Amino acid sequence: MFEIFSYGDAGWGDEILRGLAITVQLAIVTLPVGLLIGFLAAFASLSEFRPLRALGFGYTTVMRGLPEILTLFVVYNGVGLLLNLTLRWWKPDAPPTDFSPFVAGVIALGMVFGAFAGEVLRGAFQSLDKGQVEAGRAIGMTDRQIFLRIQLPQLWRFALPGLGNLWINMLKDTALVSVIALDDLMRMTKVAVGVTKQPFTFYLLACLIYWAMCVLSEVVLARMEHRANRGIRRA
Amino acid sequence: MTKPETILKAEDIHKSFGRLEVLKGISLEARNHDVISILGSSGSGKSTFLRCLNFLEIPTSGKVTVHGEEILVKNGKPQNVRHIEDIRSRLGMLFQQFNLWTHRTALENVMEGPVQVKREPKADARDRAEALLKRVGLEDRMHMYPSQLSGGQQQRVAIARALAMEPDAILFDEPTSALDPELVGEVLKVMQSLAAEGRTMIVVTHEMGFAREVSSEVVFLHEGRIAEQGPPDEMFTHPKTEVFERFVSKVK
Amino acid sequence: MNPLEILIEYWPRLLDGTLMTLKLTILGALIAGLVSPSLALIRVHAAPMAQAPLRLYVSFMRGTPILAQLFLIFYGSGQFRPTLEEWGLWTFFRDPFNCALLAFALNSTAYQTEILRGGIMGVPQGEIEAAKAIGMSRPKILRRVVFPHAYRIAWPALGNEVILLMKASALASVVTVFDVMGRTRQIFSRTFDFSVYLWAALVYLCITAAFVLLWRQAERRLSRHIHAPGMPRASAQPFKESQA
Repeated sequence: MFEIFSYGDAGWGDEILRGLAITVQLAIVTLPVGLLIGFLAAFASLSEFRPLRALGFGYTTVMRGLPEILTLFVVYNGVGLLLNLTLRWWKPDAPPTDFSPFVAGVIALGMVFGAFAGEVLRGAFQSLDKGQVEAGRAIGMTDRQIFLRIQLPQLWRFALPGLGNLWINMLKDTALVSVIALDDLMRMTKVAVGVTKQPFTFYLLACLIYWAMCVLSEVVLARMEHRANRGIRRA
Repeated sequence: MTKPETILKAEDIHKSFGRLEVLKGISLEARNHDVISILGSSGSGKSTFLRCLNFLEIPTSGKVTVHGEEILVKNGKPQNVRHIEDIRSRLGMLFQQFNLWTHRTALENVMEGPVQVKREPKADARDRAEALLKRVGLEDRMHMYPSQLSGGQQQRVAIARALAMEPDAILFDEPTSALDPELVGEVLKVMQSLAAEGRTMIVVTHEMGFAREVSSEVVFLHEGRIAEQGPPDEMFTHPKTEVFERFVSKVK
Repeated sequence: MNPLEILIEYWPRLLDGTLMTLKLTILGALIAGLVSPSLALIRVHAAPMAQAPLRLYVSFMRGTPILAQLFLIFYGSGQFRPTLEEWGLWTFFRDPFNCALLAFALNSTAYQTEILRGGIMGVPQGEIEAAKAIGMSRPKILRRVVFPHAYRIAWPALGNEVILLMKASALASVVTVFDVMGRTRQIFSRTFDFSVYLWAALVYLCITAAFVLLWRQAERRLSRHIHAPGMPRASAQPFKESQA
């Protein structure tokens, strides 16, 4: 009975593994994009410059209030439309191109991750010990040096638990891209279901794979937190 | 004059936490109007013993009788569990940390027991609760929440809460030790007035003044046993044991 | 078409979708809210072995995408169609709304259980002892002391969970439930007018904002005991001699 999961022509093992590979790629590519957006959002909302602060606040609030799938559609359809508009304006007789669902996925998931990460990082910045910044100034470090040498290394420790949660959420949210026709784990499962007519078996398998990835992530994150807290006495 | 009736009787109370035996067989009898102070250094088991009397701590073995209702405990299992709630409603208890219900006002704290446990009509319970809060000097604080009251005021609300149940006896578990020194007096005064009106009280305390002047009997616990017991004047002037003598000289 | 024309032409559908989104969210949160207290009590008090299935359930619900859970229920039930028909359950599972509601309720139950567990563990032990000391029965202690307290502690986190559930309810559109998202996709597929997505975003933001306001209002009522208005913290007051 397990041959439907086997590798090769007879089973769906290879297709599902290919889907899994896409899912993992998507998550790994999204992470730095999301972190970058998160840092920008955090800097904006901590800025002395009022309009920038409003922008940061507005971005994190709006993005966190929208369903992820809506964001995904907005990016996929919106950017797709924009792309074709520019293309036609530039080269009127060009055939319409499709916007890559992978890129759409990375942008949308990165925007969502970034909004939540912005809040996590802002909180982490604010919980840093102010005295250490002053100590840095006192020995004549520049703001840049203070950020890189003092704040950033400690920021990690405060932000890690929150970012870890966001990573797990994002990993699960990658399943949404199956809806815009990216051949990820979820969509390959759907394909397998269409042929084998065993929806429960295959969706359960997909669930178990996601579950395993999340549990694995939790284990790794716990290790990382443990490492990050070396030398810190627990309160 | 006839001998006053026995209100509470504890016989051969043992209590172990794992392999550590904290109480090694303690017996105590409280008759009507008795005020018994239980003294002892920290770790002597005095709080544990008090908590065994109303089964907040289940003794490992022993017997507790309150007003004829008895609960026998063997191997950490009380024989008639259903009487526990009954016994508890007959014994009032005051805690070191007051333990007021923080989501209810002073008045609601006092009314809770009569309404919820004794099923008294709300109006009656309210009248009595107001009278009791007045009695402890808090008539103008009745509708405040515990977070708005000082420690001394909270403990006085807790006393009113205990009195509202019309208990046969009241247990005090170091009622003043969490208070700032300047607030201790107001609570001790209420306790003193309770003793004066003939309430039966069992008080675990560090207040030597109270033990000496207010109580009718002093029990000194040492390493899980009663080391010395008797009327306060006699005990404080002529300590019989060396441990108690050392204890008295240390706290003075 | 300009954005306003889209709104004028299609607002009845968007409104209809909004009501569906609210229905899914409120019913899902409510069902989870009814089930979670007893599960939370098990998580706090039951023996580790007895908790194992519950912990597995919570871990599964938190470790898998809601979309996958929804597909498992909606499409997965098809695999057992003969059995379900025999038991008379097929009419339930055939309906995408029912399946979506079931998936959301199951998912939210897991999260609410954990949130409430935290709340119960945060109830001060002393207040429970005080209730025992006046002879309250266990069920009464739960009703009068533990849960009122636990809900006050858990309130903000529960609010967050409802918002997450509201956002997740947009997934129902994938199995053809016509909520805000479903209506939006339907309108877009007809008009190819991008602005409909912006209207949908506005609807979701308004729902969230309204909910946050309501929830805060309720929180203020619940936490009167922490900061009651106009009453300074009383200082020690000399004890008045009793008349007794």
